This record gives sequence, structure tokens and C-alpha cells, in this order.
Amino acid sequence: MKFAPRLRPAMLALVLASSGLPAPGWAAGKEVVMAVASTFTTMDPYDANDTLSLSVHKAFYEGLYGFDKDMKVVPVLAESHVVSPDGLTYTFKLRKGVKFHDGTDFGADAVKANLDRVTNPDNRLKRFNLFSNVARTESVDAHTVRITLKKPFSAFLNVLAHPSAVFISPAALKQYGNTESAFHPVGTGPFTFVEWKQTDHVKVARNERYWRPGLPHVDTIVFRPVVDNNTRSAVLKTGEAHFAFPVPYEQAAVLQATPGLDVLSGPSIIARYMTMNVLKKPFDDVRVRHAVNYAINKEALAKVAFAGFAVPSEGVVPPGVEYAVKLGPWPYDPKKARELLKEAGYEKGFESELWSAYTHTTAQKVIQFLQQQLAQVGIKVRVQALEAGQRVERVESVQRPQEAGVQLYYVGWSSSTGEADWALRPLLASESWPPRLFNTAYYKKEQVDAAIRRALATTDRSEKAAAYRDAQEQIWKDAPWAFLVTEKILYARSKRLSGVDVLPDGAFDFVEAELK
Amino acid sequence: MMLKYVVKRLLGLVPTLLIVAVLVFLFVHLLPGDPARLAAGPDADAQTVELVRQDLGLDRPMTEQFVSYFSRALHGDFGRSIRTKRPVMDEIAERFMPTLLLTVWSMAWSVVFGLAIGILSAVFRNRWPDRVGMALAVSGISLPSFALGMFLIEVFSVELGWLPTVGAGSWKHYVLPSFTLGAGVAAVLARFARASFADILHEDYIRTARAKGLGEVAVVLKHGLRNALVPVITMMGLQFGFLLGGSIVVEKVFNWPGMGRLLVDAMDMHDYPVIQAEVLLFSLEFILINLAVDVLYGAINPVIRYE
Amino acid sequence: MSDEGGTSALPTSQAAVAVRTPWSEFWRRFRRQRVALVAGGFVVALLAVALLSPAIVPYDPENYFDYDQLNARPSAAHWFGVDALGRDIFSRILVGARLTLSAGFSSVGVGALVGSLLGLVAGYFGGLWDRLIMRLCDVLFAFPGILLAIGIVAILGPGMTNVIVAVAVFSVPTFARLVRGNTLVLKQLTYVEAARSIGAGDWTIILRHVFPGTVSAALVYFTLRIGTSIITAASLSFLGMGAQPPAPEWGAMLSDARAEMAVAPHVAMFPSLAVFLTVLAFNLLGDGLRDALDPKLE
Repeated sequence: MKFAPRLRPAMLALVLASSGLPAPGWAAGKEVVMAVASTFTTMDPYDANDTLSLSVHKAFYEGLYGFDKDMKVVPVLAESHVVSPDGLTYTFKLRKGVKFHDGTDFGADAVKANLDRVTNPDNRLKRFNLFSNVARTESVDAHTVRITLKKPFSAFLNVLAHPSAVFISPAALKQYGNTESAFHPVGTGPFTFVEWKQTDHVKVARNERYWRPGLPHVDTIVFRPVVDNNTRSAVLKTGEAHFAFPVPYEQAAVLQATPGLDVLSGPSIIARYMTMNVLKKPFDDVRVRHAVNYAINKEALAKVAFAGFAVPSEGVVPPGVEYAVKLGPWPYDPKKARELLKEAGYEKGFESELWSAYTHTTAQKVIQFLQQQLAQVGIKVRVQALEAGQRVERVESVQRPQEAGVQLYYVGWSSSTGEADWALRPLLASESWPPRLFNTAYYKKEQVDAAIRRALATTDRSEKAAAYRDAQEQIWKDAPWAFLVTEKILYARSKRLSGVDVLPDGAFDFVEAELK
Repeated sequence: MMLKYVVKRLLGLVPTLLIVAVLVFLFVHLLPGDPARLAAGPDADAQTVELVRQDLGLDRPMTEQFVSYFSRALHGDFGRSIRTKRPVMDEIAERFMPTLLLTVWSMAWSVVFGLAIGILSAVFRNRWPDRVGMALAVSGISLPSFALGMFLIEVFSVELGWLPTVGAGSWKHYVLPSFTLGAGVAAVLARFARASFADILHEDYIRTARAKGLGEVAVVLKHGLRNALVPVITMMGLQFGFLLGGSIVVEKVFNWPGMGRLLVDAMDMHDYPVIQAEVLLFSLEFILINLAVDVLYGAINPVIRYE
Repeated sequence: MSDEGGTSALPTSQAAVAVRTPWSEFWRRFRRQRVALVAGGFVVALLAVALLSPAIVPYDPENYFDYDQLNARPSAAHWFGVDALGRDIFSRILVGARLTLSAGFSSVGVGALVGSLLGLVAGYFGGLWDRLIMRLCDVLFAFPGILLAIGIVAILGPGMTNVIVAVAVFSVPTFARLVRGNTLVLKQLTYVEAARSIGAGDWTIILRHVFPGTVSAALVYFTLRIGTSIITAASLSFLGMGAQPPAPEWGAMLSDARAEMAVAPHVAMFPSLAVFLTVLAFNLLGDGLRDALDPKLE
């Protein structure tokens, strides 16, 4: 989508006027202010479960691997790795000459200390399950580390590229302890931690000894949560922030028309879909599930609810995720939907209930849109947007499948490891029925389970790709979901700012930030 | 007499707070949804949820949690936030002043403007100052505060660039939020003051004062104000609660670093310790304000006796 | 001076009361308030719209949609324009009147009834009753207005019925305190003491002598409160816990429209206008009622 830049005299006057305004805090060198959507939960990457906090951690923490702009795994603190043929042992050569902010050296002992910490259940860290497959970590020499897994797990490099898998200075861990180290982050990253004012901001300053020469370009970055969507757009327009993510879809055009601002959109790996509980009538009938898929105009959905910043789903897994297979989009054909319903014995339609996992504006629009669309083929749904607590109680913590009240459920997922395993297994494997993980369709197919297992056990890329293709094709055919759209990432930044972008997983990258 | 009354009321505060504490404890445990599941986040499996549950102490029986919550609360320890793992008192301390100042400023300007408009309207009853004043007052209560806030940001921050949008650093930051928050209260007070004054101005003693040849201004201020203030002060007390509550909405619009926003976030995350401590604090604040109202009552209207 | 007092013994006055029933007396006074009459007419019209709306709307408020006209400005086909989901705003406003008004009336009505009763008892009897009721109010007050509502909705779940319950509960202590304050003053007045000295029972005094004196203040507050409750419902929607989509409750429409504020201000404007005019009408009507009910303003 392109925006025609349009100058409004009032806005122009504003910019001219605001250049003469004293802007608090800007005087101190090059300071970048980034407006983000919610408050930070923790500065401990192993205890963080929100993409936003983890994004900020990237200022002061780094891992062995990371993701580039296309979600490809790239080495950061690792130089190379070797996997044993059985897929159980990973040996890494570490980068030399990297120092933590406290002056200590980064090396094998740091990797060991951090992995030992998270895999110890006594530390009760929220990222425990990401690393629970690690059997032991050994330092071979100062810059070589060997990690042994409990069972083969071919997505392990992606796990190490996850923003949680970063390294805290062992000295700091020792000094502050398991809980308090969250308030005193000491890492190897391009910025050092300055302060975390819970109410207002997180501030970081340039790491003078950063191992990548010439970086960073700016002196300080302030991450400021601005929760309200409209207010977040407003601080961009007033110049109180240089960057805002996310930008409400509805305001993209208005922001683009503001001089001095760029509105940018990029692909994401955030899939939006509606699960259908296959244990329940009428969704136990594959014809009904196909009918629901045919009944929904995905193009119109992208236009109505996402202001065009979404594309119809092209498969089970969004294209940006490794091993995704293009299978669609599912055609819009309400006539065929009615035929299928008739075949399945629901000529007069039926009634059902649609819950949304979120209450925000876009989700409200989506469920109302789905309600309108399904009504066209005779499916009358009542819609309800669940608050977080209700969502947990009614969907995620339900102990027995037969007690689940969920019928249609609108939700989304982003594979935080950028890989097909974490896009399929938690959502569609039979081992992942609530309350264990999030298979809210209660889908169970031996063929899919087997393919997912097979892909994890092999170290051969083509074998893995074949297994994932097999799983995705089967799921598409069974349609336990209505495959809706893949979101686009939408953010805005001041024209003075460059080098700050949002990655497809919603994390942002600011290492090369530069302010003119 | 009055001192005894105040002491008695302060002592009466203790059982109220205890009741509130028990109710809030029950309330947070009635909230639908497992707090451990919520805290563990979207990527966590069942095993991790159990680890988080142990970490939060939520695996222990209810009675045990209740006893430990109370015994620690009596020592001033409200535990750590589930969301950030910071001590709850730290979380609240950082946000206490911005919210208090915001409500006090809102109250201050709305009392001044509300009373002025109310008195003018009563004196010039059914003439143009009355009509203008009441039109303003009616508008003030007819607009939802979030709509007003949005509108003010759009005009004064975005279009005109006079005032900042977010933060609480300087006096400039207080202008828009306190105006937004106080508008409703000013309007209510203006209407109430007008009604109250209109009553008083028809009382016999006012007529007598007029008959004695006192100027209208003196009549209003000397005889009217004191008597008319009794219901107005009740109203102020009531409105303080409105301000504390209203700050939740206004803090969200203006991104205000205060207690209201903390509470909404805590509610969302089922952050039990934060909800419990904050509601206790709110209630303490509120009871103290009501006490002050009752004391003022007596100072202004000696007819009411303290029992 | 006060015909509600009923203590006058003069025959002429009795004749006057006989001719002018309280109702005709009220009407005589009320008729003179032109603004209030207009406001009253508006409220009546609104009630009629609320009752008839399902029959008179041009489009289905929920299931009519036109995705080619998203956020379209007002036109001959769509008087108030089209919203972000392609629905006719005019139809939604009409149907929304029913939801908005019934929520406003029922929540405040229940709150006022319970609250006034508690206030009368507390103010009149004092002592243990007063302490007990005021303690209850203190406890309810300890969760300031909207917070209490948020709490109730958090437990019961979002939705219109629960919002009504929440608003009713948080109206109770407000009315209780207000009525108690007035009762404390009235209790001291001569005619109440006189009634007591001639041996009238407590409830007779409360209902005949104290209650009428508290009505005007409570009534003024009642009208303000209807507006407040509509706004509170909108605020709850703003915080994500109000009416459920696609119900065209005005508050919910308004908070949905917030997203479109910058691109299509009319989507927000019409529900705001509806809220504004309705609250305005109730307030003006309340003022008129008050002036007509208050015997002191001859």
C-alpha cells in the first residue's frame, strides 16, 4: 500500500512551530525515544514472556544466535557449530574478545551458567519449557561449549536464536541472585542499562566497549510505553517520540500525511485464525469446517478489520516461518459453503458461539465481521471477546476436553523461534490439547503427530521439509481452523531516525539506530 | 467534642479497613482465570505453569495464603508484584504522588470554577450569566472524559503544539489531564451550588438581611455561603471518589504514570498482591476524605451535633 | 408556607389545597419552564423511539453491511453515514436508544431506591443504624465508583446486564450519603420536632416530613446520574468491559469509533451527539422538575 504524501497547512505550521519548542530530554546528545504499546514486565529475559520486554532486552543482552530481517538464523556470539550425527550434541565455538558491561569476559562459563540457571526448576523461570530439553551444558575450553539434549530436537538452533536465549554476566548473576538480577541487567549488548522507571520508561546508554566496531550510533535510547493507540500516534505527531510500534491500522493514512514521518509496513509471521472444536457437533464434520472456510471473504476481512494491512492466509503456517508451505488462500465461495452445509445435513444452518482471545479494537472488528459473513450462509453466531482472565478460565485452563465450552475461537500465533515446529506443535499436535498447550480445536491426527515427531528427530533439512509439508497438507485438508489472514507489521518513525525496524515476529531491531 | 469525634472515627476506620481487606482477598480469588497461567504467558506449557504457580505461592491452600497475607500485611509487607516481581510498596510509591497531585489539582480548579459559576447562576437566576453558566455545566457532564481528553490532545498538543501529551514531569503536563478529570466535577459542583444557593436565597433570614439594607454581595457571601456550603461540601466528598475512579480512565488516555493505570494492568494480569494493596490504599484515602468532610460539616454548620 | 408540611390550620389555605391537588400544582409550576418542557418532550420522543426502534429503522442495525462504503460520510441513503464495519449508523443509533436508556434508568433507579432508603434510616435513627449503614457505604466507597464497577464486571464478566448491576451498586452509597446529609438537617427543623412532640411515629415522620424534603436533592442527583451512568457504561467499554459487540449501545459505538477518530470523525460524532443530547435533556428536565417540586420557590 502506498501513501500519497499530502501536506496540510496546519500540520506544516505545527512542525515549524515545534522546532522552536524546548523538547525535554533531547538536549543530552543523541537520544532516541521509542513509543511502545505496553509496560515492561521484567528485565530478566529468562523470566519474560512478552515480545516487547524481550525486544528491549536486546539493547543490553545478546545470544549465540539471532534472527535477521527475514527471520533467518544468524550467528551473534557464536562463530560456528557442529552437531553430532545422532542430533543430540551441539558444540559451539564462541566469539573471542567479547566483554560484559561489568568488564568480565564472555566465554563458555557464561553460557553454562545461564543454561544451568534456566534448566534448574528450582529457579522457577517462565522460559523453563523453551530449554527443558537441554540435558547438560559443559565448557570444553574457555571459548568452546558443548550442549547435550535429552532427545533430538532439530529446531535447537532456532531456540538459541530466540530472544530469551541471551547471556547474563555470571558475576552479576552471582552478585544479585536469581530474582534481583532482573533489576540489574549486565550483558554484552550495544547499550548498557541505565534505569527502569516502572511507570515511565526504560533508558539505555551507548556501550563504549561494544565488540562490533562503530556501533552504536546514538547515545541513549528511551523506551516509553504509551498504552493508548490514539495517544501513541499523537506523541509521534507532536515529536515527543521518534518511533512508534504498533501504529493503529486506521491511522496509517493520517500519519503518512504528517510531514517528517514515515509509515512503514512489513511482513509478519503473525497468523490469525479461528479454531473449530472438532470434538463438538457440528464441527466434527469436515464438510462443515470446509463450509466455514468457504463462507469467509478473507480479502474483505483484511480490508475491513486491518485497513488492508493483512493478507489472506496462504497456508497453515505464515510464509515467513521456516518450512512453511503455500497451500492457499482458501477461496471465498458462499454458494459452495451452503451446498456443503446442506450435504452435512445443516440446510437451515445452525447456531454457535464465537469467542475472541482478545478484546482490542481489531479483534472486535474481526469477530463482528465473521459474524456477518457466517450469517450469510445461515450460521448464526453469538460473539464474545474474552478478557485475559476469562480466556484462561474458559479456554486455556480447561482440564478435560469434554468439558471444554469452546466452539469457534478467534486467536493468533507467532512462532517465537521462527520455525515450523513452534508454529505447529503447540497448536495442532494431539499432545497440546489444553491445559498443556493451545490446540483449542482439539485436533488429533496420527499422521500429523508422526510428521512433527519425524521432523524433530532428523538433522537432514530435506527430510525435515518433507515431514512438515506432509503435516501442513493434512491439516489444510482437515481444516480444524478457518484460515484467515497473516498480519502485516505497521510502524512509524520520524524521518530523522534510521536503522530502526520491526522484525516479522514483532520484535524491533535498533542496534544500528541513527538520528540525524 | 470534635477531637473526641475525630478520634472515634479514626478508630472506627480499623474495622472498615479489615472488612475491605477480607473482601479484596475474596474478590481477587473470585476473578475468573488462573493467575499462574496468565503470568506464565503464551509460550508456556503445563509444566512451566506449575513452576510459576509454586513461585507465586499459589499452590498452597487458600487458608494458608490468607493467613500469610494478613500477617505480612500487618507488618506493612504486601509482597511482590506477580507481573514485575518488584515489592508492591515500591510499585505503588512510584505512582502515588502523580495520582494524588492530579486529583488534588482537578479538585482545586473545579471547586473554584464550580462554586463561582454556581453562585453567579443562583444570583442571576434565569438571566444570561445563569444560562451561560448552566449551559457550560451541562456540557461538562454530558461528555465522557475519554472523549474530552482525546479532543483536548488533538487540539492543544497535536494541532497547536502548546502542551505535551504524555508524562508527568512539569506543571504543563498537568493542565490537560486535570482539566479533563475536573470538568465533570466542576459541572456537578456548579449545578449543586446553584441549587443550594437558590434555596438559601429564599430563606427568611436572607430576606431579613436584604431588608436591613445589606448589599447583595454581602448578603450572598456572608449569609448565603455558609449555609449553602453544607450540601456542597457533601458533594465534594462524594466527588473525590469520582475523581479517584475517573483517574483510571484519564490516566489511560494521557498515559499518566499513576495508580489507576497500575490497577487496570494488575486487574488484567490478576496481580493479586498489587490489587490488594492498592484497593486498601484507595479505601484508606477515601475514608479519610469522608472524615474530613464530616468535620468540615460541623465547622460550618454548628447545628449538627457530633454523637 | 409549605403545603407538604400540612401543619397549617387556616381554613383558606385548606381550601386552596383542596382545589390545587399536588399534581396540578406541580403541573402549573412545571408548565412555566419552557426549556424543561422542550427537554421533557425530547425525553418522551426518545422513549418512543426506544420502544418503536426495531420497527422503524431503515436498515438492520447488526446484519446489514456494505463493505464498499466503509466509513462513508452521511448521504441520502445513510443519514448519519456508515461505520467501520459498513453498517448504517442512523439505524444503530435508533436501536441503541433502547439499550442505552434502559440501562441508564434501571441502574440508577435501583441504586436510588436502595440508597435513599438506607440514607433515611441512617440519618433519622442515627446510632447503631447510622454506623452500620455508613460502614457499609464506607466499604462500598472504598472501591471508587468506576473501580467498583470494574471489579463487579471482572467477576461477573463483561456485558450489559452486569454493567447495570455494577452501576446500580455504586449508586447506592452516593444516594445514601446525600439523603443522610439532608435528613440530618431536616431532623433538626421545627416542623419535624413539632410532629415528634405531638407523638407521630418514626416512619410517619420519615415518610411524611423527612422524605419529601430529601426528594428534590435526590431527584436532581437522579437526573445527573442517568447521564453519569450512560457515561460510565461508555467508560467501561473504553476500558474493554462494557456492552458486547455488535450490540449498538451508544457507549460501545463511541469507543469502537475511537479508532476511526482521525479518519472518519462522523462515526464518533453521532453517538457522542446522541449521548450528549440525551444527558442534556435529562439534566434540563431534572432542573425543571426540581423547580416545580420545590415549594420554597414561589
